[in-house]
Amino acid sequence: MKKLALAGLLAVGLTGCSSEEPKVLNLYNWSEYMPQEVLTRFEEETGIQVVYTTYDSNEAMYAKLKLLDDSAAYDLAVPSTYYVSKMRQEGLLMPIDRSKIEGFDNLDPELVNLDIDPDNRFSIPYLWGTTGLAVDTADVEGDPVHAWADLWDERFEGRVMLTNDMREVFHVGLRVLGYSGNSTDPEQIEAAYEKLTELMPSVRTFNSDAPRVPYLEGETDVGMIWNGEAVMAEETMPSLEYVYPEEGIIAWLDSFVIPKNAKNPEAAHQFISFVLQPEISALISEEIGYATPNLAAREMLPDEVANNRASYPTPEDMTNAEFQVDIGDEALQVYAKYWEMLKSGR
Amino acid sequence: MPSITRQPFRTAVLVLVWGWLLFLVLAPNLLVVGASVMTRDPGTFISLPLNLDAYRQLFDALYLEVFLHSLYMAAMTTLVCLLIGYPFAWALSKLGKQRQLLLIFFLIVPFWTNSLVRTYALKMLLATNGLINSSLMGLGWIDEPIQMLYTEGAVIIGLVYLLLPFMILPLYSVFDDLRQELLLASHDLGAGRFATFIHVIVPLTLPGVLAGVMLVLLPAMGLFFVPDILGGSRNLLVGNVIKNQFLDARNWPFGAAASIVLTVTMAILMLAHRLSKQRIGEEGAG
Repeated sequence: MKKLALAGLLAVGLTGCSSEEPKVLNLYNWSEYMPQEVLTRFEEETGIQVVYTTYDSNEAMYAKLKLLDDSAAYDLAVPSTYYVSKMRQEGLLMPIDRSKIEGFDNLDPELVNLDIDPDNRFSIPYLWGTTGLAVDTADVEGDPVHAWADLWDERFEGRVMLTNDMREVFHVGLRVLGYSGNSTDPEQIEAAYEKLTELMPSVRTFNSDAPRVPYLEGETDVGMIWNGEAVMAEETMPSLEYVYPEEGIIAWLDSFVIPKNAKNPEAAHQFISFVLQPEISALISEEIGYATPNLAAREMLPDEVANNRASYPTPEDMTNAEFQVDIGDEALQVYAKYWEMLKSGR
Repeated sequence: MPSITRQPFRTAVLVLVWGWLLFLVLAPNLLVVGASVMTRDPGTFISLPLNLDAYRQLFDALYLEVFLHSLYMAAMTTLVCLLIGYPFAWALSKLGKQRQLLLIFFLIVPFWTNSLVRTYALKMLLATNGLINSSLMGLGWIDEPIQMLYTEGAVIIGLVYLLLPFMILPLYSVFDDLRQELLLASHDLGAGRFATFIHVIVPLTLPGVLAGVMLVLLPAMGLFFVPDILGGSRNLLVGNVIKNQFLDARNWPFGAAASIVLTVTMAILMLAHRLSKQRIGEEGAG
């Protein structure tokens, strides 16, 4: 819920009464994407104060970092897959000094050295996750929901929630039509827009702050959700199920990057190493429900977490899954135009 | 002699006021004007050459529709504010001075809390399992919760809640200045209550109405966080489009142009207000 500059500016307790200036790490992260305990422990161990600020879309994060001025002096940010390559190519990032990073070798070999950042010169994977279907089984009657296309069903009129994320929503539209979720073809994007306008009367709300909330509030019964949010919702709302849609799930990997104008890159390196400790990575994955790329951490996870299909999909669940990739500015403008139209439509 | 001693103070005040206006009002607005005539650039947000493309883009049917709908939402908000605010201000002006001050104080107290926080509080009231629905269901008045959140109605409620004091305060000030003698004279001259209202009270309070309308109508079109929180993040207001252009689509010239249009609309309204005030002043004098 930390939208719009309300941004949880929670400075985690101070380190005693040392006379010297306290060291500060400005961490810019997605809302509800880091357990408080991790920040507290980092602080206790290193004496570095973490100032935690949040965003709810890659676009908003990018727009702020792009200014590269003091108003956006963050030491660490967590962009998704396609934004890592975009920011790297635009020279917004500081190379990461691998000699200061401990525990890199624990990372899943399949999730490092990707095209987005060859040899991980600028990014270190933090968590990966998926965007799939949420179904409140207590309120949904009739045939089970198993595909994105089911959202168009008349019985869900006024009960659907979509994430407030342009790429993800269009991904759904494109997949339902059988296209790639990373399409750059204006005709396909337009077709997806047309398809999505048919869904709009059913859409109750867009939410990327905490997509589980409209389900918990009872405002929506079915729609999109991030897997971690689904796991977090399980406790309070066991009837909310996470479903892998037939057309394929949306997959993403979020990585730590150090912006070029970081004031305290040293602390940023320290924080990355801290998180890469198997124990800490395991704690994070357990607490917020997303999958850790840290293989050593996975071994430490309790069975109910490691075997939770929402957090750790089986290979079958990943059939048709697509990772989001950078689509370039030209296609982005096409998406942006239709996104605006979609959200203005009535 | 006194003018000399006052000089340093006067200079300080003038420097402060002019400095404030130049740096915090004029400069940012000029930057916005500047950005609106530049070209969108994926790398640096804005770049040369200068052109009016952003303004041309505003005439796209889509944005006209957003603007008109936004105007409609703002007009509804203003109307509701007026319907509540007018009788409220009238009643307020009739109370004893002590009570007036107390009520005005209550009116202003909510401003001490951030409007974003208050909007979230409203959300908790309106939600399907929120306070209103659970109370009504507890009382047995309704069986099914009423869908209030994420509707246009919820957005209008939110806007009214945030902007109502801006309607009441100018109205209160005109009612406070309303001289009883004029009303008595009207009665003496044979006008009934209704005739007095239409021919005396309404014209005399009109400047307050206009001031209130201005203070509510324009801000209502820009408060983008209200539709974001209560309206399901749809583009219900011009403010949402502007925010999206700056943050998501990264089309700064277009966002700037849209906000200039809002500012110009405001200026036109203020001009109209001034003219009407002059006209009313003349009538009053004549």
